Amino acid sequence: MKSSLVGQVVILAALALLPAAGEAIYFRDKISWRSAIAPSEMVTVDQARGWGDTAIWVDARPEDEFANDHVPGAISLNEDRWNELLPQFLAVWAPGKKIIVYCSSLSCNASREVAHRLRKEAQLADVFVLEGGWEAWMKKNR
Amino acid sequence: MIMCLGARAELKWEQTTIELHPAANDKQAVGHFKYQNAGKTPVHFKSVHASCGCTTAQSQKEEVPPGDKGEITATFNIGDRTGTQIKTVTVETDEATNQKTVLTLKTEIPQQLEITPNFVFWKQGEKADTKTINVKVGKDFTVKHIKVTSSTPDFQAKVEEAGNGQFKIDVKPQDTNKVVASMLTIQPEDSQKVFYATARITNAPQVQ
Amino acid sequence: MKQTSNIEHRTSNIELPSDVGSLGVWRFLWRILDFAVAGIFIYAGALKALDPVQFASDIDNYKILPWPVSVALAFYLPWLEIFCALGLVFRFLCRGALSILTASILVFTLATIAAKIRGLDITCGCFGHASQNWSFPSHLATNLAILAALLALLFKVTSRNRLQNLV
Repeated sequence: MKSSLVGQVVILAALALLPAAGEAIYFRDKISWRSAIAPSEMVTVDQARGWGDTAIWVDARPEDEFANDHVPGAISLNEDRWNELLPQFLAVWAPGKKIIVYCSSLSCNASREVAHRLRKEAQLADVFVLEGGWEAWMKKNR
Repeated sequence: MIMCLGARAELKWEQTTIELHPAANDKQAVGHFKYQNAGKTPVHFKSVHASCGCTTAQSQKEEVPPGDKGEITATFNIGDRTGTQIKTVTVETDEATNQKTVLTLKTEIPQQLEITPNFVFWKQGEKADTKTINVKVGKDFTVKHIKVTSSTPDFQAKVEEAGNGQFKIDVKPQDTNKVVASMLTIQPEDSQKVFYATARITNAPQVQ
Repeated sequence: MKQTSNIEHRTSNIELPSDVGSLGVWRFLWRILDFAVAGIFIYAGALKALDPVQFASDIDNYKILPWPVSVALAFYLPWLEIFCALGLVFRFLCRGALSILTASILVFTLATIAAKIRGLDITCGCFGHASQNWSFPSHLATNLAILAALLALLFKVTSRNRLQNLV
């Protein structure tokens, strides 16, 4: 009647799988398995390009990197000169536009921080972070 | 396994997390991460690398002889950042154990005024209703009055004191027929520092 | 002959009522420990199950596992803790439950020590974000106390089983 230790461990491990799987389904929109940003906030290069003219590209990298090269038509908006650059960005924004913020790569944090400020301070909707950043854009556009 | 994890690194750090509280007008926040080589062999720095372009980090020396002390200076350029900023510096050395150390700079940037939203807009042709901008005074500051001016006469801005360190700015456009924009300048009384918000009449979204 | 030895046993019971009493007290104390440890793990598990996104981030901060594994563990570990704790409460699959809980607290403790050595400033994640302001010594002390309790319970369950197997 008494199961072995291994048997008990296996039963408990299996029991825990059910609610865990349920939670994973419930939270699927709040967490991305690929990277540490909510999937509803992330967008791939292909998805973003599919939006065509309804998208505004925002470059969150430092000035010198933007000047070197950037997504055609992108607006520079970084936290170093936020107060100066924000009005320039707002001048080209219009309701209904989707905003795609990018920085250098998947590991860089600047795009998330700029996206967060656009949502929180300017209270803009449809703000997304480009998955893979400038690196991913370059791979698709070489 | 426990003994391996208990092995100590040669480089001993006084602190691996430094909390900074710069003044409101400071442009930079600097952290000094002090260390000492407690081992018997020299330690060489392979790289010192910050998590963002806004932070620079420098080592005083490339080689640390046994017993010697030194420091890594991390300089965080505040720019127009606000709130709590956490930036890291990763230090790689040639130690046998613990080759990578992450130094954390946590900076609390004081903000005299918190303006939400800092952007109000009306679509072209929309009813010219009043929209409100909320202004909250930072907890380490005292502001009794604020003054708001619009850069164009197309928008009117009126300040209302909400009490408890809070203000409301009611913004109203003259009309929404033309696409216009205005910079609202918000200045606390007895302060040189100036804050901004934007008011705009935008193009109506295209119907597809 | 058998009857005689039974009578003799009965006599010894009557002669030593205090032994029976103290056995009962010990049993009660062990049960208190069961409930205390189970309570801690149900509380900790529930906190993490309510915010798996934050827990995934806390696991990721240790920089030991890839992100997808952190996410999987964030969903799974809290429920494993809760089920094992319930096993303790209801005396169901006790040995397995204690073994799993002991292993998990051991892994968390070692990961916390490793993070400290590597100079990472992280929250343990053990109690979700409720423990985010705890210092490293507090974390370590709490984990070691729980580990000691678990080892005591495990030892008790294992020796009881061995005794029962001998009978």
